[in-house]
Amino acid sequence: MKDYSSPIYTVRSKLRPYKGFLYLLPSIVILCVFTIYPLVKTFMMSFMEDYNLIYGTYTGINLANYQELFSDEKFVLALKNTGIYVVFVVPISVVLSLIIAVFINDVVRGKALFQTLYFLPYVTSVIAIGLVWRWMFNSNYGLINSFLNLFCFESIEWLNLPKYAMPALIIFSIWKSLAFNILIFLSGLQTIPQDVYRAARIDSTPKMRVFFRITVPQMKPIIVYAFMMGFISAFKVYNEVYSLFGGTDAGPANRAITVVYYIYAKFYNNHKYGLASAAAVVLFVIIFVFTMIERYVTRDRDKEKSK
Amino acid sequence: MKMKRILCVLLSAMMLLSVFTACGSTASEGGTTTPTIDEIVDSADIEACEIVFWHAMSNAQEEALTAITEEFNATNEWGITVTLVNQGTYSDLSTKLTANAASDTLPDLSQAYNNYVTSYLDKVVHLDAYVERGYDEMDYEDILESYRDENSEFGFISGVAFNKSTYLYFYNKTLFDQLGLSAPETWDDLITIGETFQSELGMVSLGYDDLAGLIEATLLQNGAEYISEDGAEFDTEEGLEAITYLMDLYNNGYARLVGEDSYFSGPLGNGLVGAYVGSSTGVSYISMIDGYELGVSTLPGNVTKAANTAGTNVMMFTTDLNKQAAAWEYLKFLTNTENTVYWAMQTGYMPVRTSGFESEEYQEYMAGSEAAQACYAQQDAYFSSLNFDGSYDVRTDIGSKFEELVLAEADGQTALDELVALVNGILQ
Repeated sequence: MKDYSSPIYTVRSKLRPYKGFLYLLPSIVILCVFTIYPLVKTFMMSFMEDYNLIYGTYTGINLANYQELFSDEKFVLALKNTGIYVVFVVPISVVLSLIIAVFINDVVRGKALFQTLYFLPYVTSVIAIGLVWRWMFNSNYGLINSFLNLFCFESIEWLNLPKYAMPALIIFSIWKSLAFNILIFLSGLQTIPQDVYRAARIDSTPKMRVFFRITVPQMKPIIVYAFMMGFISAFKVYNEVYSLFGGTDAGPANRAITVVYYIYAKFYNNHKYGLASAAAVVLFVIIFVFTMIERYVTRDRDKEKSK
Repeated sequence: MKMKRILCVLLSAMMLLSVFTACGSTASEGGTTTPTIDEIVDSADIEACEIVFWHAMSNAQEEALTAITEEFNATNEWGITVTLVNQGTYSDLSTKLTANAASDTLPDLSQAYNNYVTSYLDKVVHLDAYVERGYDEMDYEDILESYRDENSEFGFISGVAFNKSTYLYFYNKTLFDQLGLSAPETWDDLITIGETFQSELGMVSLGYDDLAGLIEATLLQNGAEYISEDGAEFDTEEGLEAITYLMDLYNNGYARLVGEDSYFSGPLGNGLVGAYVGSSTGVSYISMIDGYELGVSTLPGNVTKAANTAGTNVMMFTTDLNKQAAAWEYLKFLTNTENTVYWAMQTGYMPVRTSGFESEEYQEYMAGSEAAQACYAQQDAYFSSLNFDGSYDVRTDIGSKFEELVLAEADGQTALDELVALVNGILQ
């Protein structure tokens, strides 16, 4: 018979609520080392004037980095470009992938083949895709220009002229982000009950109406999810810029520079650690606001359901 | 039962502790980056060890480096093993060196441009004592003067010249012959070539792979200065003349930017551009389409001649005296006459030693290589950029600024003002 009044059991029962933390410890440690600590450190670095990463020295704690940041026209351009990128890439990509997903879902034969084909860009290295697209955008030999010429349009120097740098980047990125969105939309489409569609067919409802009245409302949570994930990753765009423009500059005269590209260049090329951290904090705030909006939107929906 | 649990807790606590202490102990190695002649380990007393060498060489270059290193590993009398670690591109290498300088985990040896290390100079081993003790039968003076100067610009010997190249003028010999042109000697020749190509073929005659290098070389060719720690030094009459000449080349359509092609070797080979200025190692990337022949020449000059040199030095970072001595033996081997010649012939880089240039083997090779001849011919015009805090930023930013100015078709004065403002903004 166990003596539950013995001190050891009292201690154990008191410690029981904390037992959960023990299981969480490994992930908390990893999170602290690789996420929380860098986050805090970045915040601190952003306020340190002339911070030297190698020796950990700085000349003062103030807002100098932020002042320099917002008076740097490159950063303002980077913010503007990132904004343009987000506004164009995310909505166009979501709408296109929804349409493509519906078509793939309607295909009776070879559905798996199409699913695989459209998912390929997602599993292919972005550097390899970038190489292919650089050839497609080539002003002399590119597929895109021959296509334009076919319809009597003039060739465009996509990668040579600054004004076409952002359009080229946006076209490339829309295509690249289709894959992931199509995948989640396809899995979403398969969860819509078929009875609803059957009922619509009995009433011989036009296809467009079926799409807007049944498919879209049923898919709403997934569409919201795709938008939010798209927004967050679009704000962090870097790989696409790097691979499309060959890794040396962000397009002709750096015209397609994005915020993350700016952060990387300032940190590693110019060794301006404080400035890079300040830019990272600004980006963090922007993404944080968007994440809050996402949480707000999803919470609202849950409430509606419970009513 | 209870004992077992306590034991368990104790053991895991110890494990955690040992993990943390293990991390801590590797960082503090002891040793020095400024060994004196009395401190350094005698060649006879070197103990077997492993030397890690970071580099950014690929393809034929990596193969040649591996061959030399494997030979050293197999034949050296001390049992030293040099391990090559490819870090990707030069910019990857620079990035990784910076990150590892911050965490005090730099490799024993690494290829590096001098401007990589300006912010952590105290972590670079001073090689003076090793050089002083001797280069065996080889002479330190045998290494080309411009390389010795470059490797002592910080006030101590910071590295050993390794993969060295210079900029050359590559041209489409077939088209030049057709138009009755010869390789340019002066700036005026370049303008004549530009006019002829434009009027006769409607073609752009010139391109530059490295715009930052172009600006510096053009200024020096006109007797102007480039930059110093205090800022831009080219806000002068000679400077204005040089920049105006450059802008005119582009504004008149004699020269063009590289744009989507990244390097001009492609457009030259395909007959889309008449000539270009680029690294001597680029010759292996030029493949002329049928019917076109490649010509190689020295860089044209104006008031004087000035030719950029490029390529890295090998620097030492290990503070362990035994490892330093071992790494030094490897460096000597890597750059001895025989190996520098082998290296040059395999890769298109240049020998770093005069004895290398003069060796029978290399002379024979040079007779068959126009590029090697041109490298040798402009040896007296070599210059390497000065490095100090901020010079790397100037290098990375001035190229894209110049690109912007060309695209905006700026005139000479505007271009000069904007370039001066950019440089001063970084350095002052």
